[in-house]
Amino acid sequence: MTVKEMTTKDMIKITLNLVVIYLLGGLILAVVYARTSPIMYRNAVLEKEAALKKLMPDADKSEKLGDWSVHEKHAEYFVAKKGDTIIGYIIQSFGKGYSSYINTLIAVDKDFKVQRISILGHAETPGLGDEIDTSSFKNQFNGKDLEHLQVVKTETTENIQAISGATISSRAVTEDAVRSGVEFLMKTMRGKETIHGTEKHD
Amino acid sequence: MEQKSTTNYIELLKNGIFKENTIFKLALSLCPSIAVTNNLRNGVLMGTAVLFVQVMVNVTISLMRKLIHPRIRLPIFMLVISGWVTVTDMTMAAFAREAYKQMGLYIQLIVAFASILARAEMFASKNKVVPSMFDGIGMGLGFLFALSVISFFRELLGKGSLWGLPIIEAKPLLIMILPAGGFFAVGILMGFFNWMGIRNEKKSQ
Repeated sequence: MTVKEMTTKDMIKITLNLVVIYLLGGLILAVVYARTSPIMYRNAVLEKEAALKKLMPDADKSEKLGDWSVHEKHAEYFVAKKGDTIIGYIIQSFGKGYSSYINTLIAVDKDFKVQRISILGHAETPGLGDEIDTSSFKNQFNGKDLEHLQVVKTETTENIQAISGATISSRAVTEDAVRSGVEFLMKTMRGKETIHGTEKHD
Repeated sequence: MEQKSTTNYIELLKNGIFKENTIFKLALSLCPSIAVTNNLRNGVLMGTAVLFVQVMVNVTISLMRKLIHPRIRLPIFMLVISGWVTVTDMTMAAFAREAYKQMGLYIQLIVAFASILARAEMFASKNKVVPSMFDGIGMGLGFLFALSVISFFRELLGKGSLWGLPIIEAKPLLIMILPAGGFFAVGILMGFFNWMGIRNEKKSQ
């Protein structure tokens, strides 16, 4: 194609081309978004309910206790009950990973020992960072208290072993998301618990 | 005349699936061919997404080919591609959530597929709508076929299952579902298909 001087006609055509295509594209995307976003939202809610149930299989109901924010993101926390007795808490938390904020749910028992964690969403590197969502990584959290929520690079059963090639993602889950969630729960719940405790015991 | 055009369409389909197969012959878009093919379902879904985008892009570009100013044709192609990819992305996020979680990243990467831009530039911008559509279907099917074959072998050998259902008890070759296995699978299959192609050519001579 020979390069020649642009005439006014060319310029008008180019401008029109771009205006029309942006308008059309925007219109199509708006229609599709309007159709799909409610479904996406509903799916996310259903998924969270299922995740809560899976995290605390012993509980027969989970009630929302309140909201908190971490990394300026909105998150929620719940109390898990069996009958009328509190058997633990579930908290949503975020950790700053390698390429995304990792959205996690953490279940703790009454002594604030981690029971289970689950990863709700992330956009870490496929093949490396996304191994945070494998059961072999997540199961390491079972039964760990705050002190042992530490990432080490060697083989360990006491602490959390980092995924090789994905230390940042491992740390983000362990030392950022889970830790801040448990710390928050301890701070808020310990206060309340004593009040509850005195009410109930006496 | 009618007869001739139908054979042409079949030729276009064959061209995409065998002669100019995106992965096995042109060796384009290899990133997803390794990244999402460690199970059959993801391979098939990714292939279907690419098939859809390729056909829609070819049809759109072909419809607009006389209106596009040649100087800005590439930006316009990119806009059309990214528009259709976003549509696919949002639809998958809504209706295939589980799979989307694993391959959402790669769906967005379809924007940068050389094969889709190449077909828009080389074929759709110079041909009428119907042939462009068939070219898109052919290229898309070729990609879908390649991903399905790769992921079939990788899941079967690496996990001993197909489409998530266990087929054999053992995991014969665990490496096949790891990234390294992707290179092996693509390389061996690429070699096999080229060998078949050469043999067929010799036979027909």
